[in-house]
Amino acid sequence: MILLAHAGHWLVSIAEFLPVLLFVAWLGWITLREKRRGREAAEE
Amino acid sequence: MGGHLAAALVSPALAGAHGVVGRSDLPIPEWLFGWAAAAVLAVSFVALAVLWPDPKLQEDSWRPKLAGLGRALTSAPAQFVFGAVGVFLFFLTLYAALFGVETATANWAPTFVYVIFWVGLVAVSVVFGDVFRALNPWRAIGRAVAWIAARIAGGSLPDALPYPEKLGRWPAVVGLAGFAWLELVLSTGNDPRTLGIAIIVYSAATFVGMALYGVEAWTRHGEAFSVYFNLFSRISPGEVRGREIGFRRPLSGLPGLDVVPGTIAFIAVMIGSTTFDGAAESPLWADVAPELSDFFQTIGFSPERALELAFTLGLVLAILLVRGFYEMGIRGAKSVGGGFTSKELGRSFAHTLVPIAFAYVAAHYLTLLLYQGQAAWFLASDPLGKGSDLLGTADRAIDYGVIGATNSWYFQVGFVVLGHVAGLILAHDHALALYSKARLAVRSQYWMLAVMVGFTTLALWLLAQVNQ
Repeated sequence: MILLAHAGHWLVSIAEFLPVLLFVAWLGWITLREKRRGREAAEE
Repeated sequence: MGGHLAAALVSPALAGAHGVVGRSDLPIPEWLFGWAAAAVLAVSFVALAVLWPDPKLQEDSWRPKLAGLGRALTSAPAQFVFGAVGVFLFFLTLYAALFGVETATANWAPTFVYVIFWVGLVAVSVVFGDVFRALNPWRAIGRAVAWIAARIAGGSLPDALPYPEKLGRWPAVVGLAGFAWLELVLSTGNDPRTLGIAIIVYSAATFVGMALYGVEAWTRHGEAFSVYFNLFSRISPGEVRGREIGFRRPLSGLPGLDVVPGTIAFIAVMIGSTTFDGAAESPLWADVAPELSDFFQTIGFSPERALELAFTLGLVLAILLVRGFYEMGIRGAKSVGGGFTSKELGRSFAHTLVPIAFAYVAAHYLTLLLYQGQAAWFLASDPLGKGSDLLGTADRAIDYGVIGATNSWYFQVGFVVLGHVAGLILAHDHALALYSKARLAVRSQYWMLAVMVGFTTLALWLLAQVNQ
């Protein structure tokens, strides 16, 4: 309830935290990519 | 709450306590400063990867300088004078807290403790080194008592207990968290009488610790303010060793930090408490706190206690958020390989958070120090608030024109960016020494960059929240 009621504040703050979100997403993506490559190398 | 002392102390115009007001003439929106700061960090990261191929801060670069001045300042008479100054200020503050007027704005104690000591001494430590060690009243009293007791005993005192390794800095964590709670949560935290009682309780605990484990051992690890100011002093190029004053590369005092148990928690409290102080002024918290308070009231707490519980919860969450964020960066760094455990990496990079803690303090409390710090002039002349004019400065007033709102915003952003770039430099330098392959070192730092960008954005968001 509290989260929904204050969604406006959260949405405004997302703009400020966008660089962090993008950066973490990029890190997650390269981590997954490295793991996939590691698995492929192990299978070969 | 108590910690928003400055709002009550200073003026309605500074109701946000530590932030700035009226930044209507900024050329770009505040959130864009956050994006720009993140970009500066990313560029710094690339520049470090290319231009900083070898560790430069890991070796001891301290060299003795100012030999004559060093010997004079570290001589026994000088040390006695510094200790006496600290003890005088300690008892003046305690006396004012217990026997002065109960109005926080008119009593020396709250301004001295929360502004001059808590914030001002951080700036002094970063510039000049561990000044508090010489001024520390608890250490001075402890040493004096030990000296007198040894004379009475006709020789030397029994050896102190060995300081337990597992205890590490945990007593200091408790002390710092208690101080933050007093400042930010307790509804009477800025009341001089409460402050006086807190000083007595903390002093008693400190003297017990010193009696058990020795003055120096307790000062080094257990006494919260010694640990606090010592951590900041490691940023400084100045350091006293034995009887000599010397200089080293700025920041190079940090890699040598002994990360004993409790150290990371201590730094998390440093950053987390400032984070909560800022967040508590946000519209978001203004909405959430009453609802939390209502919940605590429904389970039987009085309105005042319920609000304190809500603020306690907020403070704990802010500290855990900081700790969790660092843990995330460490887990990420571990994922790139190198054979280190999370615990090893966590301890290895803990020192990189200290410049961030400084950035948070500097940015968040800049205006508090510049404005309310001036009150020390007239409060020193009338410490009890009873109409005396000991120094002839009792009629001084605070000059709010000392720095404009827009300029203070630029300074705050500057502190935040510089502090985080310093953290990035420390992390990069340490990674080069830690990892056998440069490629792994750089890749591990992707995650530390994420931590720095996160803390930067959080810091600027907190500053932007003030006085919304």
